Amino acid sequence: MRHSLLNFTRSNSGLVILLVLAIPLSLLSPDFLTGANLLTVALQVSMIAITAIGMTFALITGGVDLSVGAVAALTGALAAGLATSGGLGTYPALFLAMAAAAGVGLLNAALIVWGRIPPFVATLATMAAARGLTLVYTQGRPISGLDAQFTFWASNLGPIPVPIFVLIFVLILTYIILNRSLFGNYIFAVGGGEETSRLAGISPSRVKFGVYTISALCAGLTGLLLTARLWSAQPNSGTGLELDAIAASVLGGASLLGGAGSVTGAVTGAFIVGVLSNGLNLLEVPSYNQQVIKGLVFIVAVLLDYLLKRRLK
Amino acid sequence: MKLNWSLFLQRFGLALVYVALAVALSLLSNRFLTLSNQVNIFRQATINGIVAVGMTLVILTAGIDLSVGSILALSAVVTADLLKQGVPVPFGVLVALALGALMGMVNGLIITRGKIPPFIATLGMLTVGRGLTLMYTQGKPFTGLPEAFRWLGTSSVMGIPMPIILAALVFAVTAIVLRRTRFGEYVYLIGDNPTAAHMAGINTRQIIVLVYMISGLCAALAGLILIARLDSAQPVIGSGYEFSAIAAVVVGGTSFSGGEGTLFGTLLGTLLIETLGNGLNLLNVSPLWEQVVKGVVIALALLFYQALNPSKK
Repeated sequence: MRHSLLNFTRSNSGLVILLVLAIPLSLLSPDFLTGANLLTVALQVSMIAITAIGMTFALITGGVDLSVGAVAALTGALAAGLATSGGLGTYPALFLAMAAAAGVGLLNAALIVWGRIPPFVATLATMAAARGLTLVYTQGRPISGLDAQFTFWASNLGPIPVPIFVLIFVLILTYIILNRSLFGNYIFAVGGGEETSRLAGISPSRVKFGVYTISALCAGLTGLLLTARLWSAQPNSGTGLELDAIAASVLGGASLLGGAGSVTGAVTGAFIVGVLSNGLNLLEVPSYNQQVIKGLVFIVAVLLDYLLKRRLK
Repeated sequence: MKLNWSLFLQRFGLALVYVALAVALSLLSNRFLTLSNQVNIFRQATINGIVAVGMTLVILTAGIDLSVGSILALSAVVTADLLKQGVPVPFGVLVALALGALMGMVNGLIITRGKIPPFIATLGMLTVGRGLTLMYTQGKPFTGLPEAFRWLGTSSVMGIPMPIILAALVFAVTAIVLRRTRFGEYVYLIGDNPTAAHMAGINTRQIIVLVYMISGLCAALAGLILIARLDSAQPVIGSGYEFSAIAAVVVGGTSFSGGEGTLFGTLLGTLLIETLGNGLNLLNVSPLWEQVVKGVVIALALLFYQALNPSKK
C-alpha cells in the first residue's frame, strides 16, 4: 500500500506538488480559488507552458535550449515590426517571424550537430546573438501600434483567453508528435543513448534538427503571444524564460540527462511555476523576494528529480 | 606536415587573430594605437579578465559557472553597504571575498553532493543570488564609497592603473598555481578523465568545490574593483558577466570537455574581445551590435577549435 502510494507520487510527482501548493494557497488567500484568478493563472501559464513543451523535446535528447527567451523576443519584435512599419499584413508578418524563429532553431542544431558544440554553449551563443539582433532591430525601444488582428491572439473568447486555446492546440499536436509518431520514438531513442539509436538505424543528427526547430517554434509562438498580450513588442521580453521553461519541464518529469520527459508533464510543471508566482503575489510577497524563492524552488525541483531517480534504481 | 600546421594554428592562431585585428583597427582609426586608448582597453578588460580566470579553472574541470555575475553583485552591494556604515575598509573587502567564496562553495557542494549538472546548479545560484541582491538593496544603488576603498579602482602606480596591477597579479598567481602545484595538476586531470582521477585516489569532490570557490572569489574581487571605479554598487551590476567571461575562456581555446586550456589563452581571449568592442566603438558602430558580434565570435571560435581538433568529441 505504502509502496503503491510512493509509485504514484513518483510517476505523478508534478500533480502532487501542484495539489500540495494549491491547498494551502486556497486556505491562505480567499482570492486564489476564484474563476477570475484561475483564468489569470492559466493565461500566464500558457506562455511558459508552450516554451516548456519545446524545451522538453530538447531535454529528452539530452540537450537543452537556452536561447528560448531571446528567440521569443526576436520573434515578437520581428512580427510587430513587420506588421506595423514593415507594412506587411499581420498574418504574413506572423508567418515570417515564425520562419525566423525556425531559422534560429536550425542554426542551433547546425552548431550542435555539425559544429559538435555542446548544446548549452551553442544555445548560449545564439541566445546572445538573438537578443542582440532584437536590440538592433528595435533600437532598444518597444514597437507598438499593433492592429486588432494581432492583439486578437491575447483577447478573450467568451471568458477564456485565446492563449489557452493555443496552448491546448500545441499540447495536442506535440503529444501526437512525441507519443504517436515514429519521430517521437526516435527522439526517445536518441535520448536513451545516441550510439544505440545509431545502431538501430536512426540518424541522431536529423532528430536533433527536428527537436531544436520545434523548441524554437514553441519559443517563437510564446513571443507572439507575449507581444499580442502587451499590445507591443518589448526588446527585453522573455528574459529569464529559459529558466522558467527548464524548471517547468524538470518539475514535469523531464530528465536533464535525457531519455525522459512528457509534454503533459511540461504543462503541469508550468502550472506549478505559475501557481507559485500567483500565490506569492496574492500573499503580497515583494517581487524581489519572489525571485529568491523561485530560484530555490528550481534547485529543489532538480535535486528532487535526482533523488527520486536514484531511489528508483 | 599537416599535423604540425594544425598544431601551429591551435597554439598561435589566437595571437595571429589578435595581431591582425590590431593592425586592421590601427589602419581604420588613428585613435586606436594611442597609449591612452590601449591603457583604456586593458583597464576595461580587467573586470572580465579576473572573472574569466575563475571561469577558466571551472571549465578546465568540464564544468561551468553561470552565477559569477550574481556573486559579483551580492558581494559588491553587501560590502558597499558595510563600508557606508563605516566598517574598516580591509574588513569590508574580506567580507566580500568570503561571501564570494561561500557562494562558490555552495555551488560546488550542490554539484558534487547533489550530483546536479554544473550549468543547472549555477543557473539556480544565478537567480537566487540576483534575487538576494535585489532584496538586500530593495532595488536602490549604494553610492559615495570611502576614498580609502576607491583606491582599489582609481589609484595608479607609476602610471599603471591599480585594476591592471591587480588583474596581472590574479593571472600570474593562478597561472603558477595551475602549472606548479599538485592542485593545478589535479584540475587538469579531473577535466581530462574524472574516473581516472578518482581511481588515482584524488579527492575529486574537494578539488571541484575548491575550483568553484576560486571562481566565486574571483567574481567578488572583480566586483570590488568595479564598484571602487564606479563609486556605486547597483543592484543589477554584473548581469550578463557570465557570458563575457565564458566568451573570453572559449575564445582563449579552453575546451568545454575539460582538461585542455591555458590561462594565457584566456588572457588573449579577454583582450581580443575587449579590443573588438573598443574597435566597434571607435568605428562608431552602434553599441546595440556588440552583443550580436560577441555571440558570433563565440560560435566562430568554438567551430574553429572543433575543426582543428576533430578527434575530440
